[in-house]
Amino acid sequence: MRANFIFSEVWIGLRRNLTMTIAVIITVAVGMAMLGVGLMINAQVGLMKGYWDDKVEVSVFLCGKGTAMPACNGKEATGNQIKALETHIKSIPGVKEVYFENQTAAYKNFKDSYSANKALVDAAKVEDMPQSFRIKLVDPDNYQPIVQAVKGQPGVAQVLDQKELIGPFFVMLDRLAFVALAVAIILVLAAALLIGNTVRLSAFNRRRETGIMRLVGASNLYIQLPFVMEGVIAGLIGGVFSAIILIMAKVFLFEELGSFFGDVTSQLGWNDVAQTITITMVIGVVICVLASFVTLRRYLRV
Amino acid sequence: MIHFDNVIKVYANQNRPALDHVSVDVDKGEFVFLVGPSGSGKSTFLRLILKEERPNGGAIHVAGKDLSRLSNFKVPHLRRRIGCVFQDFRLLPNKNVYENVAFALEVIGKPRRFIRKVVPEVIELVGLEGKAHRMPDELSGGEQQRVAMARAFVNRPMILLADEPTGNIDPATSIGIMKVLDRINRTGTTVVMATHDAAIVDSMRKRVVELEDGKIVRDQSRGVYGQAY
Repeated sequence: MRANFIFSEVWIGLRRNLTMTIAVIITVAVGMAMLGVGLMINAQVGLMKGYWDDKVEVSVFLCGKGTAMPACNGKEATGNQIKALETHIKSIPGVKEVYFENQTAAYKNFKDSYSANKALVDAAKVEDMPQSFRIKLVDPDNYQPIVQAVKGQPGVAQVLDQKELIGPFFVMLDRLAFVALAVAIILVLAAALLIGNTVRLSAFNRRRETGIMRLVGASNLYIQLPFVMEGVIAGLIGGVFSAIILIMAKVFLFEELGSFFGDVTSQLGWNDVAQTITITMVIGVVICVLASFVTLRRYLRV
Repeated sequence: MIHFDNVIKVYANQNRPALDHVSVDVDKGEFVFLVGPSGSGKSTFLRLILKEERPNGGAIHVAGKDLSRLSNFKVPHLRRRIGCVFQDFRLLPNKNVYENVAFALEVIGKPRRFIRKVVPEVIELVGLEGKAHRMPDELSGGEQQRVAMARAFVNRPMILLADEPTGNIDPATSIGIMKVLDRINRTGTTVVMATHDAAIVDSMRKRVVELEDGKIVRDQSRGVYGQAY
């Protein structure tokens, strides 16, 4: 096997079909990037779900002095009501942990989370903060029965489940991942067809050479390898571009997303990105090789 | 060297067979003319030897191998022992004489050192010394055919098949081409040449096999083209 012979043939072929090669590279790059983004969103969703499942709790806000909720009727929750409520919550199946958050603690949390907004913090007073029970669940996804059981109890102003608040966000992420994967599949198909066409053109351009190669007894591998290598090289270059796109997605998309929600543990790590890039590259090259071989079977009789 | 035993070849969508129960033996080192009108089956005969086509009946042995038992994988190795020359030369226009001949060795993976040694030898054998760096379009038809013969012979094949090699060349130049073929034949290579050229056949006085409508109508050692033409 003479490597430099094969490579000079590959180079000639790529140059002759430059526009087709560029089309293949772009399609592979975008397709693989979509696939990678889809996979990364999935990984990110998994990470964030794990993180949030640890944190989410059902908050049961109690009626305070000036609570404007209709359930309170303008009355503050009494000590007895609070005690009764605590025993009631503890008796509900599916509850893992309950703790009481008084006004001082609530004020401290409020100050922490709105530290950027000084005017708001200054305007709020400790007495404005609601008292609340915080309930940790055995199964964070199964919050509905607990919320129902607590709602309407005397002294309860409002029941909030954080899962309910972030649920739509996860649904949106899942949809995004789905769309990215669907687009990826379509583009992969387009890439395969494009490669098939490129190989066909290439085989037609070089029919003289391949005819002579057949005649003088070159092996099938020797005749077909330059064509397959063209596909592989176009696929690899496309893969490199998709890797760049994925790295940019990680820096500008996922890190932004991560800084919005939670801490570093819910961040998509660089090894996740590296893994995704490897997967997309391998898939890209395998598709190129398969498409080349299938086309060669049809257009390059040996 | 080449052995046809009751070979039948019918192309798809055609009722009349291209070859009809053809039996021929060509020995090692022989020079055989294959004559007959267009469509008589000469090219089919040559294509069957290369296993470019498969017969519908009968058996073909080439260089001691039964072609029906030869796997596709091994067909390239068969073709390495057979050289081919055509009417239209089939040179690569973007390669010079040396590169055209070297191409045949490069694509079967011969080492560069070997190529550097044998290519100039064979260019000299066909009478093109000093023209190794010419491009095909700078050569006359006869010279181009010499390049094609050099390419066919550079790997020292056991058999050389020539399909109307003088078909595009004027009679005076054809004599030179036939001299090269004769020279190749004298090295022990079996030569089978399909031709229409009566003058050449008559002048060479070699074995003549005549085909008509796919049948062998004459097989004569030291024959002529035939008075009918």
